[in-house]
Amino acid sequence: MQAASSINRRNFLKTSGLAGGGLLLGFLLPNKSMAGPGTGEAPVLQPNAFLHIDTNGKITVFVARQEIGQGVHTSLPMIVAEELEADWKGINVEMMPYSTNPVPDYKPEGGSGLYDTGGSQSVFTDYTELRKVGATAKTLLLTAAANKWKVKPEQCYAENGFIINKSTKAKLSFGSLVADAATLPIPKDVALKPQKDFKIIGKAVSKYKVKEILTGKTTYGIDVKVPGMVYACVERCPVLDGKLTSFDDSACKQVSGFIKAVAFEGTGMPMHLHAGVAVVATTTWGALKARKLLKTTWNEGPNNKQSTDELFKTFAEKAKAKPTKDVYKKGDVTHTGASSHAAEYAEPFLAHGTMEPMNFTAHVKPGFCEIWGGLQMPGWAVQAIADNVGLKPEQVKTNLTLSGGGFGRRLYYDFALEAVLVAKQLDAPVKVVWDRTDDVRNDAYRPANYHSMQATWDAAGKLQTWQHHKLETSIEVMLEGPDTKSPPTMLGGGTSDFWYDVPNIYTGYTHVDFNLARGWVRAVEICENAYPIESFVDEVAHKLGKDPLQYRLSMLEGRAAFTTEDSRLHQDPARTANVLKIAADKVGYHLPRKPKHFIGLANHFFSFAEAYAAHAVEIEMTGPKKFKITNIVAVADCGTIINTDNTRNQIEGGTVFALSQALMSEITVTDSRVEQDGFFTYQILRMNDMPPIDVHLVPSTERPGGVGELALPTLAPALCNAIFAATGERVRRLPIGKDGWEWG
Amino acid sequence: MPTYTLNINNKQHTVEADEDMPLLWALRDLLNLTGTKFGCGVSSCGACTVLMNNQATRSCQVPLQGAVGAKITTIEGLSQDGTHPVQKAWEKIGVPQCGYCQSGQIMNVVGLLKAHPKPTNEQIETMMAGNLCRCGTYQRIKQAIHLVIAETTGSPSGMRKTITTK
Ligand code: FES
Ligand code: FES
Repeated sequence: MQAASSINRRNFLKTSGLAGGGLLLGFLLPNKSMAGPGTGEAPVLQPNAFLHIDTNGKITVFVARQEIGQGVHTSLPMIVAEELEADWKGINVEMMPYSTNPVPDYKPEGGSGLYDTGGSQSVFTDYTELRKVGATAKTLLLTAAANKWKVKPEQCYAENGFIINKSTKAKLSFGSLVADAATLPIPKDVALKPQKDFKIIGKAVSKYKVKEILTGKTTYGIDVKVPGMVYACVERCPVLDGKLTSFDDSACKQVSGFIKAVAFEGTGMPMHLHAGVAVVATTTWGALKARKLLKTTWNEGPNNKQSTDELFKTFAEKAKAKPTKDVYKKGDVTHTGASSHAAEYAEPFLAHGTMEPMNFTAHVKPGFCEIWGGLQMPGWAVQAIADNVGLKPEQVKTNLTLSGGGFGRRLYYDFALEAVLVAKQLDAPVKVVWDRTDDVRNDAYRPANYHSMQATWDAAGKLQTWQHHKLETSIEVMLEGPDTKSPPTMLGGGTSDFWYDVPNIYTGYTHVDFNLARGWVRAVEICENAYPIESFVDEVAHKLGKDPLQYRLSMLEGRAAFTTEDSRLHQDPARTANVLKIAADKVGYHLPRKPKHFIGLANHFFSFAEAYAAHAVEIEMTGPKKFKITNIVAVADCGTIINTDNTRNQIEGGTVFALSQALMSEITVTDSRVEQDGFFTYQILRMNDMPPIDVHLVPSTERPGGVGELALPTLAPALCNAIFAATGERVRRLPIGKDGWEWG
Repeated sequence: MPTYTLNINNKQHTVEADEDMPLLWALRDLLNLTGTKFGCGVSSCGACTVLMNNQATRSCQVPLQGAVGAKITTIEGLSQDGTHPVQKAWEKIGVPQCGYCQSGQIMNVVGLLKAHPKPTNEQIETMMAGNLCRCGTYQRIKQAIHLVIAETTGSPSGMRKTITTK
């Protein structure tokens, strides 16, 4: 069984992200084409598992990363097409069929696999290797054409699906060259295009197969239908780690189509499945209806009286003590400045709330297991499923689907394993569908967290010490147990990646246990940390009577670029300063304000995948604790941009996701039960609350960074800083609706 | 089990099911029309929106019995090939991210524009408030709605200028 410790997000990032392209090196480019003349099949050019060109010139790019709405099924093929000099309109994209060993040379390290999709890593990690994939195929085609024309390859060039002879202007289509190209040895080093020659990368390209979405043809996991399939809904123990005492399905038998009810036990680490009873029927409706008639009794175990109210009291209490774990130290924080300030901040448990509720389809027979659904880390899931059914991972037939949202929810595989536990007890394939209440109540929540901040500064107002104690219901403890050796989730300004220039820093962490599953929600700890950090810096600036923009810039500008010790990423504070300045300019920070209008700012370095973002939020006060957001400016510097339109869409969407979290979203617990039961109680932003968002992307030739999570962290602090500017009241906890703030 | 004949996308379909089965599940499980999505089952998200007699309707709330005799249009029946003006505007603006909410959004807009060919901003916001998009594509949805209005009525709508997505 794969050690859970190899899967924690930090390792995930270290292995898939921080190793950069190096991890992929060598496996994308095996030594010879996979099929060619003589194999008895029609010749194709398939220099590797990612690209396939047939004799008709049909080009197929296979994408291993999962499409969850973030656009990788468009952006990754764009990278290949660019170097291949293909006509984008002719590119076909397919999901790379799941295999435990898709490319023999590839040795996944630490659990991070070729198919894994999270941490805004896909473009960041695959960029250079995918360029080589395209360039390699192009070189083969060029060489084949040159041989035909008996000229040097340098006398040919590729353009829009053709190889062209520079002197004679003769043209040969890619398709016509495939048979010859497939016999050539794969070149070792291929030249990549200079960025100034890019024709596809950096353009606004429509989402691949957007028409299928608009006509209802896209198949998500929940749309899977296999012959003989039955449907199930699951009644779960309301308390995590509880046990089933008994169930009675006699009343279910009145429901037409009811087949049977089957029970399964919960699991421990890493996934902590709730114990449950699956109600199986011939339709989803039959299962939903029969489930209402099912009677269950549970042994909830000893931890069934916990509440979030108590948890936050414990946080506040323990915040007075020292952290139980040191995270990062620089200089000496006992060094005291002329003045000091301290403050605390709190953030609740949060659910993912993907629009497509959790679901999974499985078919298990002796010696056989086939699964269908969306997974962000399929390798992790398949290993666990294989272990559970007593097969090898390569024996689990895995069919990955598109997902109606991921946001980190589908990095976990609890819902997949649960479907397998049900399928084991049935003769037919079964689709387990979670209703919205199941989805909201059985999530892997972003942890509740609490921050105690302290700073001192000298007579000139320059920060001398910075201390950050984070208290949290740890994800690592959830996955690996109380003795986990994994470092706590502090990336996102909480370690050496802190973006401001302060000579003495100490950050520490305290885990507080709580009986609720925790997991990674979009931008996870970067969001958790940016809110207190960017609020606290604002507080200090106000204390000093300094302009918050200038104060931030004074600690960013002039600071040399550095490699963060913890994430090993390159961080250039000048780029952070730049996005902040653009945000201030675009929101009109330097212009006279309209009456009752106030502006808040925040910026961050995105510690998962080298990118920079800032938000400027303008509000108009419409009552003592009431405001309207009149403008949000979001600025992103994510290095080289692959698809400008998708990047804008992600920055808009990330801002909206963060806005929900800032204003209204919260999971509360009493008696160890989640109180919210759906979108009426776990609220997310609706159209009527949607403020205008003005997105600005910084043109860049730097390494492409992450996009999907980039826009979340700075929205809440920028909004809270605007509220402070307006009212002098500091927002100490999220969501702000909890403390009586109103908007709209 | 009773049998119901439904008029869906201008075709008669017969299904055998309980009378209380919501139209949503008949579409998805019995008729393989999976373009209509399940998001909540309790009228909180709009993912299941279809047209019933030209009115945007949450199919998770309509028992089969109540669907008999109505002219039902699902996303699959809106156009042959994705060329309905609303679909075209969605494509032009590049609205979808994961896409899961979008058939419900599109059907709701079609219903909205049938009721109010030139809706005010306020009408748009109120009538779209029941359709959630977790990916956060609301700004593009608004833009696309204004594009449809401009193209179908030939007049620019009262779109705010602050939006500078393109
Ligand atoms: S599924 Fe009908 S409104 Fe959500
Ligand atoms: S596009 Fe994903 S929920 Fe709307």
